[in-house]
Amino acid sequence: MSGGGRCPDCGSAELVEDSHYSQNQLVCSDCGCVVTEGVLTTTFSDEGNLREVTYSRSTGENEQVSRSQQRGLRRVRDLCRVLQLPPTFEDTAVAYYQQAHQLAGIRTARLQKKEVLAGCCVLITCRQRNWPLTMGTICTLLYADLDVFSGTYMQIVKLLGLDVPSLCLVDLVKTYCSSFKLFEASPSVPAKYVEDKEKMLSRTLQLVELADETWLVTGRHPLPVITAATFLAWQSLRPSDRLTCSLARFCKLANVDLPYPASSRLQELLAVLLRMAEQLPWLQVLKLDKRSVVKHIGDLLQHRHMLVRKAFRDGTAEMDGQGQGQGLGDGDVGSSSLELPAGKRPASPALLLPPCMLKPPKRVCPIPPVSTVTGDEDISDSEIEQYLRTPQEIRDFQKAQAARQAAQSVPNPT
Amino acid sequence: MDQNNSLPPYAQGLASPQGAMTPGIPIFSPMMPYGTGLTPQPIQNTNSLSILEEQQRQQQQQQQQQQQQQQQQQQQQQQQQQQQSTSQQATQGPSGQTPQLFHSQTLTTAPLPGTTPLYPSPMTPMTPITPATPASESSGIVPQLQNIVSTVNLGCKLDLKTIALRARNAEYNPKRFAAVIMRIREPRTTALIFSSGKMVCTGAKSEEQSRLAARKYARVVQKLGFPAKFLDFKIQNMVGSCDVKFPIRLEGLVLTHQQFSSYEPELFPGLIYRMIKPRIVLLIFVSGKVVLTGAKVRAEIYEAFENIYPILKGFRKTT
Repeated sequence: MSGGGRCPDCGSAELVEDSHYSQNQLVCSDCGCVVTEGVLTTTFSDEGNLREVTYSRSTGENEQVSRSQQRGLRRVRDLCRVLQLPPTFEDTAVAYYQQAHQLAGIRTARLQKKEVLAGCCVLITCRQRNWPLTMGTICTLLYADLDVFSGTYMQIVKLLGLDVPSLCLVDLVKTYCSSFKLFEASPSVPAKYVEDKEKMLSRTLQLVELADETWLVTGRHPLPVITAATFLAWQSLRPSDRLTCSLARFCKLANVDLPYPASSRLQELLAVLLRMAEQLPWLQVLKLDKRSVVKHIGDLLQHRHMLVRKAFRDGTAEMDGQGQGQGLGDGDVGSSSLELPAGKRPASPALLLPPCMLKPPKRVCPIPPVSTVTGDEDISDSEIEQYLRTPQEIRDFQKAQAARQAAQSVPNPT
Repeated sequence: MDQNNSLPPYAQGLASPQGAMTPGIPIFSPMMPYGTGLTPQPIQNTNSLSILEEQQRQQQQQQQQQQQQQQQQQQQQQQQQQQQSTSQQATQGPSGQTPQLFHSQTLTTAPLPGTTPLYPSPMTPMTPITPATPASESSGIVPQLQNIVSTVNLGCKLDLKTIALRARNAEYNPKRFAAVIMRIREPRTTALIFSSGKMVCTGAKSEEQSRLAARKYARVVQKLGFPAKFLDFKIQNMVGSCDVKFPIRLEGLVLTHQQFSSYEPELFPGLIYRMIKPRIVLLIFVSGKVVLTGAKVRAEIYEAFENIYPILKGFRKTT
């Protein structure tokens, strides 16, 4: 509606600015009379002011969704559907992808990176909603390397300034354990190996919690710990039949990949359980080893808080009171204060420390002596001469190079 | 309490080797007043035990400070009776109670203005009653420098083929990388020498060693027949490492300092802590080992470690 004018034909004030193709016109909306119209052609002087604008400098890039972005968005949606995520996740992931695509560093990146970016957006969405999705799963779905994925992930989190919470261990245990195919008998899973899901889940959770408390989880990939805990839980629920089954066979039965570090996590967890078993009076006499302790995991888990407290000294407090480089041989102090007869005395408490701190250092790094270099000393000629080739050496080197070139240029002297 | 607010700013946090204070006293001094800006603060809500301890300590310190101020007043009155004019700088208030600054007979340092009421900071101001009392919360650990990266401009175009031919300690593979890689034994370093005349020197353990090494490389290039100079030597990066000797709960640290930390155990076993002031990146591992990088001067590494140490200590007792 333009203010002021009236149609010369019918006198109405309802004038509308409209364009007929590219020609501006002022039209009366009642009778259709064209009141005024713009110029369709441009003069030579007008055209002198027009410049050709390249696509990258125009706003066309921002107004349209480019083909690669469309592909990326489709990929994000497909990933969400494959993972069977709730519908709200899809919208958030798509929004993150679009946001990321605005950044110059991403828009000009390689296609491989944009592929991986789709996975990153899905992962960030899942993490923020506490949906336990591991990077390994996403990488498998994307057919991408973990290195490429990690680089893009860290970059995008930094660029978008996102706050991504840690992977929730409890949820991961529940999801991962549920994926083990051991809850129903089948041709590949004999009846004695079938287990009740709830029992296995609760015991696995307790074992993972124990591992977390005893420094087996911090700094490590969470999945192998959970695999080891699931295996121990499964074994301990029916030890007589299942002790003979190895970790590798267990994973094969359950149709789950065995992560490589799982066996060493298993050994660490068994060592912790053995230490706890030494504190239980009715288990001390049995002289358990790594196989037989599995039968008593139920008992150990029932009293785990008390046993951990008794079996382990606080490693952090111990480090504090150590003074200068004294050994960790303070075990006698701990045991002598218990006032039990020598025969029945439980083992002296071990230090509760991460395994990397318990292992002896591979090599002792000597502290470098304090150097008195000022940076402005004189540099002797002889010191520099040692780095220069003599003329004879230069000739020899050139001869050798020439010979190599000749040998390479002749492909296959028979 | 009020009279101490007239302390001039330079009395706060003097670096110990400067000698303004009586030597022999291990004074801990943060490079900037603790509790300003975006320095990560010790988080109060992690562990009730540590908060209680800190509050107790704060109360004790306030009591100590009050005692000191009483002592200070008595001493000042005695001194003013003995000497009319002192050679010391002292702002003479009308009440005659002047804050004693350096060169004073007894070292009674006043609290940093403004810090105590706001934060129960463990890095409290020094309150030694006698000179032999050590400072309250110095970590006592000094990060060791492990690597220095520096650049220098040799000021002339270089022919890399000639250098590779005539130097024993050079390698040059133009298909892989467009620079000569040269190494010297003392100081044990590696240099990348580009045809533009720019050079990068890595591997030295101190700033002086890096400078000496860069000069040696320049001298080698000179002896090879190029008019090499030594322009714009600059240290670009310094890496240090140290060990706090206790295990650290990384998942707790990432929860309380999430705006600075990034902990992805699926990718890397350490926690990446991006400190804002000073701008240093720290890699913190569960074993208590800490790697600090991104510094341009040594003091930034020390400052960053002194900033992170109380935070790490806060995660010590949680088991």
